[in-house]
Amino acid sequence: MAEMEVKQGGHKKGPGVKKSKKQSTRVDLTPMVDLGFLLITFFIFTTTMAQPTSMNLNMPKDTDKPDENTKVKESGSLTLMLGKGNVIYYYYGSDPATMQTTGYKDVRNIILEKKKKTPAEDFFVIIKPDKDATYKNAVNILDEMNINDVSRYAMVDPTADEYNKIQLTEQAAGVK
Amino acid sequence: MARAKIKRGSTNVDMTAMCDVAFLLLTFFILAAKFKPSEAIEVVTPASVSNKHAPQKDYFNVTISKDNKVFIDMDDAMKGDVLDELGKERNIQFSDADKKAFQLATFVGVPLNQLSSFLKLTPEQLGKMTLPGIPYDSTNNQVLAWITAAVQANQGKVANFLIKGDNASKYTTFKSVIDAFKKNEIFKYNLVTNAEDVPQGSELYKKNMMSPAKSE
Repeated sequence: MAEMEVKQGGHKKGPGVKKSKKQSTRVDLTPMVDLGFLLITFFIFTTTMAQPTSMNLNMPKDTDKPDENTKVKESGSLTLMLGKGNVIYYYYGSDPATMQTTGYKDVRNIILEKKKKTPAEDFFVIIKPDKDATYKNAVNILDEMNINDVSRYAMVDPTADEYNKIQLTEQAAGVK
Repeated sequence: MARAKIKRGSTNVDMTAMCDVAFLLLTFFILAAKFKPSEAIEVVTPASVSNKHAPQKDYFNVTISKDNKVFIDMDDAMKGDVLDELGKERNIQFSDADKKAFQLATFVGVPLNQLSSFLKLTPEQLGKMTLPGIPYDSTNNQVLAWITAAVQANQGKVANFLIKGDNASKYTTFKSVIDAFKKNEIFKYNLVTNAEDVPQGSELYKKNMMSPAKSE
């Protein structure tokens, strides 16, 4: 296929003319085959990898009865509030006044530190995404729970006080 | 003495045939690969360490776009009488043509009053349009209506409820969707994410190392 038939002989050249050697037109196809199979392998692998994964999320049933609500020990709780601009505000226990600021990269250490300090059965993380938090923030923090093997956590709305405090902090820090 | 001359065969193999086969296979795989159905709604999902594949069967998917619009799509096997249930709930009469078009539709992205004109659109027209999304505010929560209709129409079936949100969408939208699900007594969801490696040295990483079989 890749060769062409070249007619030998034919017209005679004069005595002084050197007979030029006929070069073969055969092309080495090995690299092309290599490339072909490489592409095949690549396509086969990428098509199966593209499947999206999914994260399971189980929410509790909403209840108005106070005795059905989950009780959390103050000493073992860590509240993470997700604010605007990928910022996390966190505090221990039940006093929002001691709120501190962090980001998504450092939050893992904070969770781990608290986890080490508290008995496993008391440790509880309360996640409070505010109105300006994005879906990505929520998924990231839920993922962080998985990564740090936190078995008890809840997602609730921040109280009005907490939201105001976040707003003030954001204004002071100039977060747009 | 005359010796029989053994003709040396060339060791060059003709690669042409092999090359042909390789490219034939390549062409076949490229053409046979199922193309991702062109999505009218572009969604960039966040990453998670979860290694579970998103269910592809019996799913009911709520998509949240980056501008906080909500769209709904479901497995063909689940469509069944969804439109009938929805009509009953909202007192709307859907024509047979609408019902047929709904079976073929890949997703729903408009309020109910525009539904029949939406179902008539061709995929090309859909690509050009900016869709309003399905309203989910408390006064006219049509996302809730769709979920209720889907649950009513598929009683006894185990459905997977997927939520596919864009990175930039607001948490409040996600919460409204969750609330709509909760009103239908659905508390288990699958959040569609991109796979991500478990960070080395983290608790989950150690746990997986200890019992690799358990991580599934």
